[in-house]
Amino acid sequence: MKFEYHQPKNLKEAGKYLLLNNSIPFSGGTDILALMKDGIVNPDHVVNLKTIDGLSDIKFETGKGLSIGALVKIKEISQNQMIAENFPVLKIAASEIASPQLRNMGTVGGNLCQRPRCMYFRDDFDCIRKGGGTCYAFEGFNKYHCIIGGGPCYIVHPSDLAVALLALDAAVIIYSDGKQKQIPIDDFYILPESDAMSETILKPGEFVTGIFIPELKSEARSTYFKFKERDVWDFAIVSVAAIIRKNNGIIEWGSFAFGGVAPKPWLDNAFNKSIAGIRVASGSIENVVTKAFDNAQPLQLNSYKIPLVRNILRRVITQLSA
Amino acid sequence: MAVKIIKSKNFVETDFVESLAEVPVEEYKPWPENDKLKIVGKPVSRIDAYEKVSGTASYTTDKFLPNMVYGKILRSPHPNAILKNLNTEKAEKLEGVLKILSFKNCPEISWYYDTSLLFDKNLRYQGDEVACVAAISERIALEALKLIEVEYETLPFVTTASEAMMSESPKVHGWGNILDGKPDTYVRGDVEKGFNEADQIIEEEFNTQVVVHNPTEVHCSLANWDDDKLTIWDSTQAIFSVRDTVAASLKIPSSKVRVIKKFMGGGFGSKLEAGKHTIMAALISRDIGKPVFISVDRKEMNLAVGNRPDSNQKLKIGVKKDGTITALSHISYGSVGAYPDSAGCSWPLKTIYLCPNVKTEEYSVLTNSGRSRAMRAPGHVQGTFALEAIIDDAAEKIGMDPLEFRLKNYAETDQVFNVPYTSKKLKDAYLKGAEIIRWKRRNKTPGSQNSEVKNGIGMATQIWWGGGGPPAYAALKLNRDSSINVFAGSQDLGTGTYTFIAQVAAEVLEIPVEKIKVDIGDTDFPYCPLSGGSMTAPSVAPAIRDAAEQMKGKLISAAAAILNLPEEELMYSQGLVSSIKEKDKKISITEIVSKTRNRELITNGAREKNPDGYATNSFGVQFADVSVDTLTGKVKVNKIAAAYDIGRTLNPKTLYNQIHGGIIQGLGYALFEERLLDRKTGKVLTTNLHSYKIPTIKDAPEIEIAIVSQFDPLNSSIGVKGVGEPAIIPTAAAIGNAVYNAIGKRIRSLPITPDKIIKALYS
Repeated sequence: MKFEYHQPKNLKEAGKYLLLNNSIPFSGGTDILALMKDGIVNPDHVVNLKTIDGLSDIKFETGKGLSIGALVKIKEISQNQMIAENFPVLKIAASEIASPQLRNMGTVGGNLCQRPRCMYFRDDFDCIRKGGGTCYAFEGFNKYHCIIGGGPCYIVHPSDLAVALLALDAAVIIYSDGKQKQIPIDDFYILPESDAMSETILKPGEFVTGIFIPELKSEARSTYFKFKERDVWDFAIVSVAAIIRKNNGIIEWGSFAFGGVAPKPWLDNAFNKSIAGIRVASGSIENVVTKAFDNAQPLQLNSYKIPLVRNILRRVITQLSA
Repeated sequence: MAVKIIKSKNFVETDFVESLAEVPVEEYKPWPENDKLKIVGKPVSRIDAYEKVSGTASYTTDKFLPNMVYGKILRSPHPNAILKNLNTEKAEKLEGVLKILSFKNCPEISWYYDTSLLFDKNLRYQGDEVACVAAISERIALEALKLIEVEYETLPFVTTASEAMMSESPKVHGWGNILDGKPDTYVRGDVEKGFNEADQIIEEEFNTQVVVHNPTEVHCSLANWDDDKLTIWDSTQAIFSVRDTVAASLKIPSSKVRVIKKFMGGGFGSKLEAGKHTIMAALISRDIGKPVFISVDRKEMNLAVGNRPDSNQKLKIGVKKDGTITALSHISYGSVGAYPDSAGCSWPLKTIYLCPNVKTEEYSVLTNSGRSRAMRAPGHVQGTFALEAIIDDAAEKIGMDPLEFRLKNYAETDQVFNVPYTSKKLKDAYLKGAEIIRWKRRNKTPGSQNSEVKNGIGMATQIWWGGGGPPAYAALKLNRDSSINVFAGSQDLGTGTYTFIAQVAAEVLEIPVEKIKVDIGDTDFPYCPLSGGSMTAPSVAPAIRDAAEQMKGKLISAAAAILNLPEEELMYSQGLVSSIKEKDKKISITEIVSKTRNRELITNGAREKNPDGYATNSFGVQFADVSVDTLTGKVKVNKIAAAYDIGRTLNPKTLYNQIHGGIIQGLGYALFEERLLDRKTGKVLTTNLHSYKIPTIKDAPEIEIAIVSQFDPLNSSIGVKGVGEPAIIPTAAAIGNAVYNAIGKRIRSLPITPDKIIKALYS
């Protein structure tokens, strides 16, 4: 394996190096090094973003919101007191990622841009996501794959942070063509039907520099439930990020996002609408929950995810509205 | 001391092996219970703790020799293919590449019981060896693998035992897919008559998955030649087996091969046989005149160095209303992969419960996948999961408590060989385990708790061999400073062999453990058996005792000569030989040794023979306390209570370590681990430790252990039975039964993953 290693001093230089043919950004390395060792990614240029100043800050401005630099470590988010107080959903999501060792190394930008965990993608199968002609999971071992939004590739997006950020209506800040711009996180991620070889809209020369999260109204309550098979160091089978505002026993407003169900962090606007205005004590929650994902199209081995995601919704809503 | 040569029959992993062994003519009286001993049975810290904690312990992967080079293996990417052509020209031109070994330039070396070759043109699974490159660095060797041009003719393949059993399926070998063309069968009594006598007949089918050993330390060998002498540093459980396989493969005398293994990061059965990589390292090293190190990576660990076969088991049990079992039958199918091995799993069913009418059929089936190898209690782990589930179901059917049902059908003797056990304290284990877990709290009606998270309690019984036996030898050298060297060709897999050897010698000679230096893991030392089958401690410990007792005798006879007293008037105690009559007439071992001309004393000990007409088995039970989240299907194991009859405890610290490890590995088998094979391509999907899920410490339950045995009075003068395998056998079965007790639904396939529980609860 041979590649050229670049150490840009600023965003502009990084952007220039990332325009080179077959170039990839590098920060914590927890995912990209494994991809390179396994021969899934074979770059000619590796651009170390850690040499760029100003991407490692967590800043909160009252009345506006929270900015987090792309190089902030996952561990910092999981241990930041201000985030714990104002954005519990984000803190919990960060704490649930991987293992302590990986949280110490992994960065926010890397977490958002990590590649999927599909076993076919990660091994020597010439699958659609690697430019081949077949999705092996479609008729193969698809227990961990998507139940909605799939085709022609059926991955689930592996990021926990992205799911929390989607519920928080965050924006991803990217460097593009000499400037930084904010992209709503729902638009940052794409479905395989538009491009099966990429999970994001990023084009050569572009990279993530940070995220921005609008301030939450103080009475909002939030949480993140990550269901994994093993107690630690496991990706979500299904996860739910939930934020609600409750008044007099009525859920006035709710924002939910889902992980482990779709090729991108999943937002169901109809569900969010239907949750608004329902009375906690009534049977309405049950009515709303049983309709969630009724348009899902499970594969042979993953229909269990439908009752699973509904059950998690029940638990999360009960917990937040208690 | 007088010795004689006898025919000895010992149980080794999956079969009885008869061998000639030298044993002492006289035998020692068994030691009393541990309360009366000073060092054995006490929680002595590992004597190799400093090396392990400080990092100075030299594992095979740590070994470095000047001019050492590295080998890497090219493996077939196809489940079934013929190697049509191999072009190594480009790879050979890469700077730093020293040698490429393949079918083109390697002598034909028989492998897998003469069904294949070291380099065979028939490649029968993804991972079969195609070529081996040696280069000045591992990186260059890996680069070179990519430059080898291979032409494969791919062939149809089979991935499951059920598919392979069909007559029209592709054959892995010319001779068919069922090993020996028929099942292993066993019949006792008349099962038809037995089922006719039953009030209730229960029939069930169970499936267990393929799991992979995945020890922390990967398989690796370093080979180096000096003149015509070959030394191999290997990560192995069986130094003598490696020596003999290497010698036979290279057609050189065993005396020219020395195999060394000092420390090891686990094996679990996968390292009981010589690896192909070991032979390749030896061949290339001889050719290029440099030491060659070959290790496999984690992907190769999950493809090509063994696994526990899967099983499909059909069980049938007949019971009377009063709880008497009248008949048992068992048919099992297991995939051993592409080359012969055994997938049988009927033994627990034949022996645990009293039953006059038993019939079993065990099919070992070949498929185009990685070959199985012995894995921690081969057969018993699969078999116990199914047997203990149907035992619980039978008890429920007749309205009897599962523990009471087991006690009702307690077998006092070995029913297969019709001989008594040297000791069996399973009843005590049942009662002790039930007390620890508070058995009475279990749900009388499974699944009856009215809550989101439901708790359950289940139990399972374990039987294994583990009595060890001869031949096992050890040499003791007493030095002038009264320190002692022990030399024995045994192995420490991380289990504590070093420490118990020192304890036994220290106990006999009544000197501190610190005075004993233990040297093992070297074929230049006296022979000891491979470390598998839970037989290291029961085989080796008595040989150490023999050598130490003889040393005591030598010291008395030397003291008699020095003090001019008859030997009968002398006694040995705590490093001193003294006169029984006149207390002031005494001499220390340091003085004795200094006065001898050679300034050291040497003895050789041997393991005594096993008693005739008895079976030695270990027995145990595990009780599991679990919670099942009915919303997510997740099983949390809260506690395992483990009660065992393993004869004498040599060291509670290392004993508990082994039981903890077995339970955690058993929990992985019950809940997480599964080698997944893509059926369309025949390729393994779980090739790293992300997708192959071993339990983490967060998944580990609270574990409480009770040892109900003092010592086995007949098996050996030490009376220890091995615990390595017993520790894992009942865990998955106990968890399975506890899950049933919690949710009232029986999950009949392993691992018990959330999707299976959700399907059981919501469909």
